[in-house]
Amino acid sequence: MKRIKLAIIGNGMATSKLLEELDRKHAFSKMDVSVFGEEPHGAYNRILLDRILKGGNVGDILLKPEGWHQDRSIMVHKKAKVTMVSPAAKRLWTEDGTEHLFDKLVFATGSKPRLPQMEGLKDPQGNLVPGVCAFRDVSDCQKMKEYASKGRNAVVIGGGLLGLEAAKGLSDLGMSVNLAHIFETLMNRQLDRMGGLMLGRAMERLGIGIRTGVLTKGIVFGPKNKVIGVRLADGEILEADMVVLAIGIQPRVSLARESDIPVNAGILVNDQLWTGIEGVFALGECAEHRGITHGTIQPIYEQCSVLAEVLSGNPTGAAYQESKTYTKLKVAGVEVASMGINEPADRDDEVVQVVEEKRCIYRKLIIRNGRLAGAVLVGDAGCAPALARRFERQDLMPANRLDALATPFRSAERGGVICHCNRVTEEVVLNHIRVGCRTLQEITAKTGAGSGCGSCRGQLASLLLRNTTEKSVAVSV
Amino acid sequence: MFALPQLQPVRTHCPFCAFQCGTVVSPEGNQIRIEGDESFPINQGRMCIKGFRASELHNRPDRLLTPLIRNASGKLCQASWEEALDLVANRFRQLRANHGPEAVAVFGSGALTNEKAYYLAKFARVALKTANIDYNGRFCMSSGAAGNNLAFGLDRGMPFPMEDLPLAGTILLVGSNPVETLPPMTHWLQTQRQSGGKLIVIDPRQSATALMADLHLAPVPGTDLALLNGLLHLIIETEKVDQKFIAVRTSGFEAAKANALGHHPAMVEQITGVSESQMRLAVDWLGDARPAMVLSGRGPEQQSKGVATVLACANLVLALGKSGKPGCGYGCLTGQANGQGGREHGQKADQLPGYRSITDPDHRSHIASIWGVSPEDLPTKGLSAFELLDALGQPGGPKGLLVVGSNVVVASPDVDRIRQRLGALDCLVVLDAFANETSEGADVILPVTQWMEETGTTTNLEGRVILRRKVTDAPGQAMSDIWILRELAKRLGVGDKFTAQDPEDVFAELAKATAGGKADYSGITWQRIDQEKGVFWPCPHSNHPGTKRLFLDRFGHPDGRARFHATPYTQAAEEPDREYPLYFTTGRNLEHYNSGSQTRRMESLVLANPEPVLKIHPELAMLHGINEGEIVEVESRRGAARFVAGISPDIRPDTLFAPFHWGGMGAANLLTNPALDPISRMPEFKVCASRIKSRTNPDLCLGEGR
Repeated sequence: MKRIKLAIIGNGMATSKLLEELDRKHAFSKMDVSVFGEEPHGAYNRILLDRILKGGNVGDILLKPEGWHQDRSIMVHKKAKVTMVSPAAKRLWTEDGTEHLFDKLVFATGSKPRLPQMEGLKDPQGNLVPGVCAFRDVSDCQKMKEYASKGRNAVVIGGGLLGLEAAKGLSDLGMSVNLAHIFETLMNRQLDRMGGLMLGRAMERLGIGIRTGVLTKGIVFGPKNKVIGVRLADGEILEADMVVLAIGIQPRVSLARESDIPVNAGILVNDQLWTGIEGVFALGECAEHRGITHGTIQPIYEQCSVLAEVLSGNPTGAAYQESKTYTKLKVAGVEVASMGINEPADRDDEVVQVVEEKRCIYRKLIIRNGRLAGAVLVGDAGCAPALARRFERQDLMPANRLDALATPFRSAERGGVICHCNRVTEEVVLNHIRVGCRTLQEITAKTGAGSGCGSCRGQLASLLLRNTTEKSVAVSV
Repeated sequence: MFALPQLQPVRTHCPFCAFQCGTVVSPEGNQIRIEGDESFPINQGRMCIKGFRASELHNRPDRLLTPLIRNASGKLCQASWEEALDLVANRFRQLRANHGPEAVAVFGSGALTNEKAYYLAKFARVALKTANIDYNGRFCMSSGAAGNNLAFGLDRGMPFPMEDLPLAGTILLVGSNPVETLPPMTHWLQTQRQSGGKLIVIDPRQSATALMADLHLAPVPGTDLALLNGLLHLIIETEKVDQKFIAVRTSGFEAAKANALGHHPAMVEQITGVSESQMRLAVDWLGDARPAMVLSGRGPEQQSKGVATVLACANLVLALGKSGKPGCGYGCLTGQANGQGGREHGQKADQLPGYRSITDPDHRSHIASIWGVSPEDLPTKGLSAFELLDALGQPGGPKGLLVVGSNVVVASPDVDRIRQRLGALDCLVVLDAFANETSEGADVILPVTQWMEETGTTTNLEGRVILRRKVTDAPGQAMSDIWILRELAKRLGVGDKFTAQDPEDVFAELAKATAGGKADYSGITWQRIDQEKGVFWPCPHSNHPGTKRLFLDRFGHPDGRARFHATPYTQAAEEPDREYPLYFTTGRNLEHYNSGSQTRRMESLVLANPEPVLKIHPELAMLHGINEGEIVEVESRRGAARFVAGISPDIRPDTLFAPFHWGGMGAANLLTNPALDPISRMPEFKVCASRIKSRTNPDLCLGEGR
């Protein structure tokens, strides 16, 4: 059988996971794989970027050990930017002019930071000016580390997931951080208004300045073109020795668009991650599925598993379904979790809210047809994993909705069986103490408790001590 | 011969679990009395209710007393030994002549003594000349064994003695409930906690053990692997990795690390339902300055990714540098009485005595020379337990089966299918002391001696070889399995290869066969076991003290290093869906043992725990209108089973739990999924998709075979 040539453009987390899934299906026995990545290093774990800020290096967060690709005969082209693709000719070209053939092609080009409309962001060459950086890849983190210095001021623009992570990272480096967000409340995509307010308040308590509902107009420069602040729409200036832009991401689709592959916000794909063009697929942050582009791991990993099925030719009818979103993070010690919708959408949607203002704890459930449709948790997300399971499974909610916020085990049996060997309950032992048993030996003789493995003898002794007044109780264990 | 004291108290061991408590048995007229042996180090006089009451197995009216042969009208009739043995030998010889040697298969047991296990393995290869021998330990220890071999290069369930538990600052128990399954171990866990140690339990149920723990993590069934990977992620993130240990004593860390870093806490939360804060607490305790142990039970092992999950446990202790040191390490808690010894002496399809490999030419020629055959005459690797049972009576599959001490019609996954397969056999021969669900369909039943009527060795969960002694004579015509195998061997024309008759002589042959193997018993004698209260293998010569603690200097791989493995998380073979929305998982109760063929006939145990109780969360019970004590029906894609509802908040609301000790309609294994682990061939007993009948039928009863 002819070996299939598979080319993957992009060498990020999605590609890494896709290769893992293909490996698990032993797909490399019948395909030759080439990966084209623009960055100089191997695929790394973007979620752990804050380690670079803390002083780690790329090696600490690489997704695959040295030699992993080689062992599987996967060709990885680093610093190889793909400049042109011809799906019809089944060829692609890299920046240095080299031509590569493929039978199947996967776009995993990911995304790039979205930049705000602000004056002074870029130099005449179109690069961000010194002192200003995004928060997206290893080189951004290296820049951030270079610009940051203890005791100085930083402004982070964007109050979503990335912005909060960046603010936390800089605060950990000892900087005084202000966060400017255009919307009224933080993390407005994942949290409702109350949740966002609670989060903002908790962050402020921890010393991060929160400015919401503000439009950032431009960078303010001092002598020698050094960044000294950010100007807001009302003229106020936030002092800043450095500025981090974290207002969001946008799918990287220009290569696909130039190659006549249908593109909207992302590269359009169906349930099989197929673009509609013979042999061409897309997945990850660059792909748009039923009108949605994803930026979190779980849905993208699900896409990887589906595409691996499709590429290895298993006619199992693998299809990517809409993923259940679950976001969980801890920002400067504040736990935040969110899943599904954060505001009721139907007339019959039930809403349960628990607000603990003093403790900055907020919990909200949205229930539709007796099932969890969404949840917002700020301050204490201990029950989030259990809720996530309910949300994922769409189980019926308990009749008392608050039970869903409680710890799963309510320990009814604590104080139940005391001697497991002989199934003697605490109640039985207490009854015998009441009618006159005063030594461990007597209790054992009457009830059998403690005659087995003996591991309950300490508990029996303390029951005796707690429930008798005589001083002569013999409790040698 | 080793002297057997009579009519005075005899120091021996319990017939049930792998703890093999030392007992003192006193004959009292027609009865016997059993007490804990205070001088035996691991139980120190402690015992559980099963051990105390084991006397109820003595002098039972329902004991098998003579050979039974099924006659032309399908009825089991008494027969003489001569008749029965001739019949079995003739039938097996005919099958072999017509269909080749693989047409007769053997199914052994982790309940057999080392001597019986060894003889059975030899009988299969030398007398029947079949490759098809496997045993119920495949359903028990195979994932732990394979994981131990891959990670540490040697499989002894616990590489350290029980007495080391109190040395550990933290013990992580993964999917194990020793308070009910190995009750005297509770004492060791309590001692560890009293000396300031922490106990962490991973279990989807709030088991009796989870209740006594300092921290209980309750993952969704089948997600232990994701949780363990998540713990390694946090160990790396919080810089608790022991770089020096990794550099000097291990290999492969980079791959394990890369995999673990892909298991971000938020993702692990979503998969497992365990919160990040609990995971962090667990990692803080495991990673503090004190020694730590990770011990696993069948929970993580009886999965279609059981080996990967065991390897993830090994990764944890290796990354923390807590292995091969006192109070440290990974251990797999053996379940059956001789689950450890049973897998070392050749009952497993791919193994030969001394933990040798049946595919290794050197190993084959060593064993062939001991057995007096040529290496070419030894069969190769046969089918694994489930695959073997599933092939019975099928085209190309075995047509005759010899079952020794195992109740496969209760103990196998998808048990109704296995019952049908047994029905398709030309000849089923069962060796047992009591009739059970498996012998119901037998063509020939041969009555055997039980533990207090014979002498022989077992190897407990610590790898300590111990001696069970005879207390009383066997009733009726019951005979030892060793005698039966010899008699059959004679009739099959190889009597000269089975000269050892006394168990002590069989042990001497076994010890010789294991010389130079991984599980080396060659320095062990019954005399030494008696004097030293058991001897730990490996014990390669008579002056060797035995090996209480393994890996102190080097691990079992040729380069002396332990191996990390990348263990990516995968889902269970069958996840709940719209049709079957609930997880179903199985386990044990304190009062019963395995398929229950002994404990379900012991009055005091039946009184304490008469019926299979389905654990169901109050929320789920309310949803389905189920009341406490009602009989409910649970269905999976493989069948339906009936249980008594036990409503309790100690289980996840998305999960049902039932014990597997009952047969008939109450058999939990009617539901379980026989998806196999790719390496160990362990079936996925611990996870399948199920549903519960929404409203119970008032006429439902538990049916036959309870």
